[in-house]
Amino acid sequence: MKPITYISLVFALFACTTAFTQNKSSTAVVSELTIEPGVGVHTNFGTDFLVTNLIQWNPTRRFSLGAHTSFNYNNISQRDFNYVKTNYNYSINQKFGAGTTFYSKKSSHTFLLMVGFKYTAFKETLYNPDFDKVSVAIKGFSPDYGLMYSYKKGLKKCFFTFRMYIPLYPWPVKGSDIDYIDGNRDNIALELGIGVRIK
Amino acid sequence: MEKQKAIILKLGVIAFLCQAVFYLNSCEEAKFDPALTRTFTIESPSIGASYPIQVALPDNFNSVGEKFSTIYVLDGKQDFNLVANTCKNLSERYGVPNVIVVSIGYGRDRSMDYTPTKSGSSTGGAPEFLKFIENELIPKIEQDFNADTARESRVILGHSYGGLFAAFAFAVNNNLFGNYIMLSPSLWFDNEVTLLMEKQNRNGNQEAHQLVFMGIGEAENSGRMQAPFEAYYQILRDHYSDMSLSKNREHDLSHMGSKDPNIVKGLHYYFQNR
Repeated sequence: MKPITYISLVFALFACTTAFTQNKSSTAVVSELTIEPGVGVHTNFGTDFLVTNLIQWNPTRRFSLGAHTSFNYNNISQRDFNYVKTNYNYSINQKFGAGTTFYSKKSSHTFLLMVGFKYTAFKETLYNPDFDKVSVAIKGFSPDYGLMYSYKKGLKKCFFTFRMYIPLYPWPVKGSDIDYIDGNRDNIALELGIGVRIK
Repeated sequence: MEKQKAIILKLGVIAFLCQAVFYLNSCEEAKFDPALTRTFTIESPSIGASYPIQVALPDNFNSVGEKFSTIYVLDGKQDFNLVANTCKNLSERYGVPNVIVVSIGYGRDRSMDYTPTKSGSSTGGAPEFLKFIENELIPKIEQDFNADTARESRVILGHSYGGLFAAFAFAVNNNLFGNYIMLSPSLWFDNEVTLLMEKQNRNGNQEAHQLVFMGIGEAENSGRMQAPFEAYYQILRDHYSDMSLSKNREHDLSHMGSKDPNIVKGLHYYFQNR
C-alpha cells in the first residue's frame, strides 16, 4: 500500500473512532473559544521545527472555525554541508478554516478545511574555495490549503492538544510515482501543545 | 439513534473524501505503445550486473532507413513512459523527427552507478558505469536500431544522482553525448567534486557545441541543492561560448515534485534547439 494511504487511513480511523465513541449521555465540553499554542515537526522528521498556534471558535456545537499560524525554522539540522551554507531558511503559514467537531466524554476531535498562504524564504551560499562564491536566495508566496485534524484532551481550562495538518498544495497529482508527492508528504505537520479555554 | 446514524454518515463522507483525495494521485502514466517498445537485458561483464533496457521507437522506425537520435534515460524504469510519450508528442508538435528513447534500468544500486567518487559504502561506480554505456550499451543500440552515431545526436537525461551522473559525463567524457538534461543534479556530492572535474577538463570541452538544460524545484531547500546548481549554471554560462544553455526552477515544487515538469521542459528545450 502506498505510504500516503496509511496517512489517510489514520485520518479515517480517527474519524471512525470518534463515531463509535458517540454517546447521547456524553458530558462533552463545547469549547467556544480556545487558544492552542504548540510546537511541531514536519514529516521530514527532524529537519523542520515549527512554532504554531491555533485559535478555534465553535459558534455552535457542530460548527467550528479556526485560524492557524505557523512559523517554521526549516532544515535546522544541516545548515553547513559540503561547503554549502544555509544563511537562512524559514517559512510562515497563515490559514483560516471551517469544519466540524465531534465530542466524546473527555476529548474532542475537530476536522477543518483550511485555506491560506505560505511565505517561504531561504538563502544558500556555496563557499568551496575551489570556486567563486555563489549565493542563491529564494523567497515568495504560495497558496496553502489542506485538511487539519485537531484533538483536544481534557475538561479543565487548560488541555492537551495534538494537531495534524495535511497540505494539499501543490496538488499531489504530479506523476505516476507516489514519491512525486513528496512536497506534500514532507510537509505534513504534526504538532503538540497546551490549549487554553477563553470562554 | 437517528442522530448517531447521521454522525456516522458524516464521518463516512469525511473518510471517503480523505481517501479520494489521496487516491486521485495514483493515476498511472499513459503507457507507451507496446508495439513500438523493445525490451531486453544487457549483461555487463565489466560491472558484473545485468541492466534491463527499454527502447521506444519512433512511429516510422525502419531498421535500415532513417537514422534517429537517441535519448538515454537514467532511472529508466520510472521515467520511460513519460519520456517516450513526450518525445512522440513534441516530434509531432514541432514537425521534427522523433528520437529513440533508451531507458536504462537498475543493474545495481543507483547510488553506486551514478556517483563519481567513493564517498560512502555504496558510491563511486560512475566511471565504470559510464564505460559500460560507452562500450557496451551505445554500440548495441546503434547497431541494433540503426541509430545516429554522431555525438550531437545523443542525449543523456538524469534526475538527482542521475543528474549528477550527466554532469560527470559532461566533464570527463564530453565526446560521448552532445546534449545533457540535468534535473535537480546532486552537485553537492563529495564537496562538489563534479564541479571540480568540469574545471579540470574545461579546456578540452570548451570547443565542442553543447546543449545543456538544467532544471530544479524551487522548494528544494535542503541546504545543498540550490547553490551548487546556480554555481554550475554560471560556470557553463561564463566559460562555454558554443553552448545552448537553459535553466528552469519549478515554482513551489520540491525534489521529486519538480521531476516530471522539468523532464517535459527539458525535452521541449532539446526539440526546439537540437
